[in-house]
Amino acid sequence: MGLSWSNTRRRTTTFYHPPPPPPPCCYHHHAEPISLLPPPPPPHQSHYATMHQPPPSQSYPPPNNPYPTHIPPPVHHYCNSHHYHSSNYANHQPFYYTCHHQPTSGWSPVISPHVGFASTINAATAQPILPEPAPFVDHQNAKRVRNDVNVNKDTLKVEIDVSNPDHHLVSFVFDALFDGSITIFYFAKEEQDCRFVPAFPEAHLPVKISFQKGLGQKFHQPSGTGIDLGFFELDDLSKSSPEEDVFPLVIAAETYLPVDLTNENDDSVPNTLRHMQITQAVLEKKNGDNFHVRVIRQILWVAGVRYELREIYGIGSLAAEGFDNSDPGKECVICMIEPKDTAVLPCRHMCMCGKCAKELRLQSSKCPICRQPIEQLIGIKINSSDQ
Amino acid sequence: MANSNLPRRIIKETQRLLSEPAPGISASPSEDNMRYFNVMILGPTQSPYEGGVFKLELFLPEEYPMAAPKVRFLTKIYHPNIDKLGRICLDILKDKWSPALQIRTVLLSIQALLSAPNPDDPLSENIAKHWKTNEAEAVETAKEWTRLYASGA
Repeated sequence: MGLSWSNTRRRTTTFYHPPPPPPPCCYHHHAEPISLLPPPPPPHQSHYATMHQPPPSQSYPPPNNPYPTHIPPPVHHYCNSHHYHSSNYANHQPFYYTCHHQPTSGWSPVISPHVGFASTINAATAQPILPEPAPFVDHQNAKRVRNDVNVNKDTLKVEIDVSNPDHHLVSFVFDALFDGSITIFYFAKEEQDCRFVPAFPEAHLPVKISFQKGLGQKFHQPSGTGIDLGFFELDDLSKSSPEEDVFPLVIAAETYLPVDLTNENDDSVPNTLRHMQITQAVLEKKNGDNFHVRVIRQILWVAGVRYELREIYGIGSLAAEGFDNSDPGKECVICMIEPKDTAVLPCRHMCMCGKCAKELRLQSSKCPICRQPIEQLIGIKINSSDQ
Repeated sequence: MANSNLPRRIIKETQRLLSEPAPGISASPSEDNMRYFNVMILGPTQSPYEGGVFKLELFLPEEYPMAAPKVRFLTKIYHPNIDKLGRICLDILKDKWSPALQIRTVLLSIQALLSAPNPDDPLSENIAKHWKTNEAEAVETAKEWTRLYASGA
């Protein structure tokens, strides 16, 4: 499965994210393979990062004091930048990207049996297989990123303009914490700093529509501003070209800066200060005449940092209120006691509590759900009181 | 045995096994060792084991759930992936074990193995050979053994 989230070309070079709280001392954790703030970030980390890491001096104790004697401060929830966010916050908790996501297909821990090896019940002869020491794995906590505007990707549609039947209009449900605007692009190319440029400006210019803040709003593109999709080949509409960063349909939802509400002229605002959510989609025509919108990717652009939004599997069951000890969907799959709060990367299975994740790493390097190698563990706290 | 130190996961699994048993499967812990379970699996319909009641023993080692349970058939069974000692050839009991699996899922997997013998990956060479050379006859033998040894008496 080719999960490549990095895009060094797009990585901002101007942003340093706010200095973390007193850097937790990582050297106390050396004995444990999944220390929460490990020294040098493993090379694969850049694989997921779409934002800048803090300068090393912020991450590590100064070289003249490599083994401080104080007790490490508790791991701070915000101190590790991470770029891993579930993407759908529409229902209850509109502020943070570590919020729940509806499980799409839902994973199941049932693993189909395959024959191949004998098990033995003779405890005297059957020593547990001692796995090789697991390779070092990064274990970080999620960073919360407040998203001011969110297009609910499952609601995105293109429909025929009834008063202009050759043309199609976009509709969706969205949440916005501030006033802002929606811009609809067709065949838009992403350029540096999350700017979008229509690839065929002669065919269709972007349509920009303002909105007022509010949750669960329905967006309907005004009649008459639609596009004649007949102009394009069906093949082109249903094809994304991520390598060229061109998508047939791009929705840019942007909030105006609270500091400068009077200035709605985008060009005067440095892009690094803008706050946008981008939804990139293709248009498919399966059977019948209606186009079906399939969202390929959502991007969050906050304060000059570009995040790609990914779903975390198994996080949805946690979003419901409270932790009920009898709900198998919420408990750690290993101890079956603690609520799960740790996701595995790159497979994105949220399935364990932090303690069991740590213990698992001593024994195995595979995700308990899918057996893919664990490259990184990430702690995700959901409780809303922790904002 | 130190039942007092039984991990809460094992207690929880046991409670759930007793309160919501999987269809065709029963598992109850031994009174003197809560890590030892007496298991019964009904032969799946449409299989040569239909109508049979198969007894197994299941033991949760100290490392469980980081290590797989140890499971063995106590009832004699004619199956290419189960040997004459009742040992079971099933990857999730060995290298494909995952701590996300449970007693319930292990027993369901064994039940599924009864429905889908795999003579290409045998534990009992002779039975597997029989299965591959004359499947109808092997199935008849399996049915016969089911009648003889797994009639639930």
